[in-house]
Amino acid sequence: MADRMRVVGKSLARVDAPGKVSGTAIYAADFALPGMLCGKVLRSTLPHARITRLDVTRAAALPGVRAVITAADVPDVRYGGGLKDETAFAKDKVRYMGQPVAAVAAATPEAAEAALAAIDVVYEPLPAVLDLEAALAPGAPLIHEAWESYTAIPILHREGNVCNRARIVAGDVERGFEEADRVFEHRFRTGMVHQGYTEPRAAVASWDSSGQVTVWSNTQLPFEVQNTLAEILQMPPSKIRVVVPGVGGGFGGKLRVGVEHFAAFLARKSGRPVRVATTSEEELTAAYPRQGSIVELKTGVTKDGRITAKAGRIWLDTGAFAGSGPGVASVATLVLAGPYKIPNLYLEGFAVYTNKTNCGSFRAPSGPQANFAVESQMDIIADALDLDPLEFRLRNIVREGDEGPTGQVLNGVGLEECLLKATAAIGWKDRRPGPGRGKGLACGWWTTTGGSSGVYVKINPDGTVALNTGAAEIGTAAITGAAQVLAEELGIDLTDISVVAADTFSTPFDFGAQGSRTAFAVGNACLAAAADLKRQIFALAAGQLGVEPDALTLADKHVAADGKRLSLADVARLSQQTGGGLIAHGTFIAPPTPYDTKRVEGHVYPAFHSPSFHAHAVDLSVDPQTGEVTIHKYVVAQDVGFAINPTYIEGQIEGGVAQGLGQTLSEEIIYEGGRVLNPNLTDYKMPTTLDVPRVESILVQHPSLVGPHGAKGVGEPPNIEPPAAVANAVAAATGVRITSLPITAEKIALGLVDARAGGA
Amino acid sequence: MTKVALTLTINGQRHEVLTEPHRTLLDVLRADLGLTGTKENCLEAECGVCTVLLDGRAVNACILLAAQCQGRQVLTIEGLGRDGQLHPLQQAFIDHGAVQCGYCIPAMILSAKAYLDEHPAPTEAHVREALAGNLCRCTGYQKIADAVLAAARELAHRR
Repeated sequence: MADRMRVVGKSLARVDAPGKVSGTAIYAADFALPGMLCGKVLRSTLPHARITRLDVTRAAALPGVRAVITAADVPDVRYGGGLKDETAFAKDKVRYMGQPVAAVAAATPEAAEAALAAIDVVYEPLPAVLDLEAALAPGAPLIHEAWESYTAIPILHREGNVCNRARIVAGDVERGFEEADRVFEHRFRTGMVHQGYTEPRAAVASWDSSGQVTVWSNTQLPFEVQNTLAEILQMPPSKIRVVVPGVGGGFGGKLRVGVEHFAAFLARKSGRPVRVATTSEEELTAAYPRQGSIVELKTGVTKDGRITAKAGRIWLDTGAFAGSGPGVASVATLVLAGPYKIPNLYLEGFAVYTNKTNCGSFRAPSGPQANFAVESQMDIIADALDLDPLEFRLRNIVREGDEGPTGQVLNGVGLEECLLKATAAIGWKDRRPGPGRGKGLACGWWTTTGGSSGVYVKINPDGTVALNTGAAEIGTAAITGAAQVLAEELGIDLTDISVVAADTFSTPFDFGAQGSRTAFAVGNACLAAAADLKRQIFALAAGQLGVEPDALTLADKHVAADGKRLSLADVARLSQQTGGGLIAHGTFIAPPTPYDTKRVEGHVYPAFHSPSFHAHAVDLSVDPQTGEVTIHKYVVAQDVGFAINPTYIEGQIEGGVAQGLGQTLSEEIIYEGGRVLNPNLTDYKMPTTLDVPRVESILVQHPSLVGPHGAKGVGEPPNIEPPAAVANAVAAATGVRITSLPITAEKIALGLVDARAGGA
Repeated sequence: MTKVALTLTINGQRHEVLTEPHRTLLDVLRADLGLTGTKENCLEAECGVCTVLLDGRAVNACILLAAQCQGRQVLTIEGLGRDGQLHPLQQAFIDHGAVQCGYCIPAMILSAKAYLDEHPAPTEAHVREALAGNLCRCTGYQKIADAVLAAARELAHRR
């Protein structure tokens, strides 16, 4: 199919590349207005405490200070997604070290810092809940005493420190275990990790004389931020304009309001534009990182390696507020099921409050945590059954037309091809090539998030095209992908398209740059707009050329029939003279994926739309003395449905693997006594050029029924499998099974010591 | 605080700046001169997004005082292209799909330039070592390394 295509399926350069390499692209962190003040946030210094005194008088009187605000200065509202438990500032008590207590705006950063230091705040410490076990223990202190009074979507199952319990029940899990020849039980643990975008979260807010506020922010979800600000500010959304100048990476960390509300409040109080941007310390202590977790799995198998039943539970440490937790706990259960045909399932996901920063969504939320457990256990079971891990997987994976865990019918299932190609590329037959060297495999599935997207597409009088989308470009090149779909359809080149994006006043609605959906959904909206434009173009051109509209074709920037032709520019000019110009509003909403409602409870994400399938294989060595891992080769075979732009899909895979390897080997936000021990980029160790191997990407293409040209979401999946693939390779190389993330050299070295002691 | 008058040569142009002595080159570039192609993040010389060239050497502008740059040559990303043409490194980054969010890219390109100026025929391992102080969270570095190697070949061809 791609052979007949001119634009889609081609590795064309992204539309925003020249500005990015020349330094002219403006990001939210670069955005400035004349007279702009610097805003900063005072944060709690205790994990759990009552505020007994909060006095800003001295701070407000300091030179250069233009505004100081606390909970007393803002509407008394709780906001949030499915569960409204959050406040702009701590009011009566603080619930994590880093929670906002006050904010200041001053002429210079130095004056703002001085003002923060001059705020008088006294705390009375409360017993803190520092980890999952403590939060779940009988009689544990309640982090939200009034949890029952909070507004929540009715679907959530809440109880005390558990802000949601999502459940999937299929078949009869106890009978399934009875049918099994062997039952395996394991427990896994994963750490809290940060998205690590290089551009801090930043927002500039400015009010005009009509009482409208404009916020320039690097959010991934301008429309959600507009609505959340409306809630926090207690204003109609129409008075709030959110504009995204440019985003320096998000990975899910820039979904929710983070600094925008502070900028808006401070700008209103000071009467000046205010910029608020996070420091690295704030990012690592008070952002929206990935939840740490505990996973327990119980899996029954027959002697010949068929899985008869699986019971699994994942507890996600969501921190002091629910954030994305209730949804992520739901998604987690689908990942716990794995891409396997298992007749009997009992899977639960819990989002649990602790006195830590509010966790959020990080590229494939819950994916790496749950997949690490599932795919580690698959290898443990395969070893116990004396089966090759590939063969064990092949006996259980889903194939075309199979049912997913909640009864959805699976289409476009390229998993077997992914597994076979990834293992062939890594040289699977020689799984233990030498001492201390081994190969590991992991596979999984993931969703293409739904939601609606709108675009306006306008044809300019020179025949070029303006694509106006509500979706922000966060770096993935998803908007370039959507533009390729549009260019293909309109018979123009990608370079003919210019993009206007992400302004809640002027661009059509978009559900946002999240969940691997942007190219998929915006691409489909572009198809709808192109169909409308073609109808308009053909109607106009038919009259002009004296032919029937049906006879016309659009190609090579011309509309033509019967040897007569008219340029797109001519038709656009004609329309300007006769009908207000060529413009179309294209929309798309992902169709619902049917599932068996009886199988789920407390579940906000019961099926994976247009699911993608993937397999990762890695070849690595472990230093027998230090436990240090050296990766020789990393292969990803990913079913992308259809590769709209192969280069940038490879980019997603290479980057996702790098980020995944960070979570696997070195990254963890380490808490001790409620305090983050490593709130800087030296001690929070993200991979550098020297830590990331070359990645071989194999693009498998089993088309989705819904995506543009069959495309599926590609952005999140590459981040899911690295932990399990590496854990399995480490086990193959050394015999040491690490069941917690990160898999540090220290853990492996200790495992080697234990193994030697046990063997002696 | 008493301000000091500085004469800074940035991208070949002289700028007279009156500023407090504690302010960094990064701050002056971005806030006073509007040169926001040099990016801001950790402010602790850990991430490298603020890299500029000082007398041809890659430095972190976030921990360099503007006053230390008096009488020296500063090159930022805005000064890399010539006559509206992209530098071969910039073009190679586009051609190899090495740009995603792009926030680290100006610094990455300047670090690469500093290295290639002294090592015109590097291996991939050398390139990776030269760029180890520049964090990128999007790309996994592979296409960046490819782009730098391709630019090295192009620059050698032009010599």
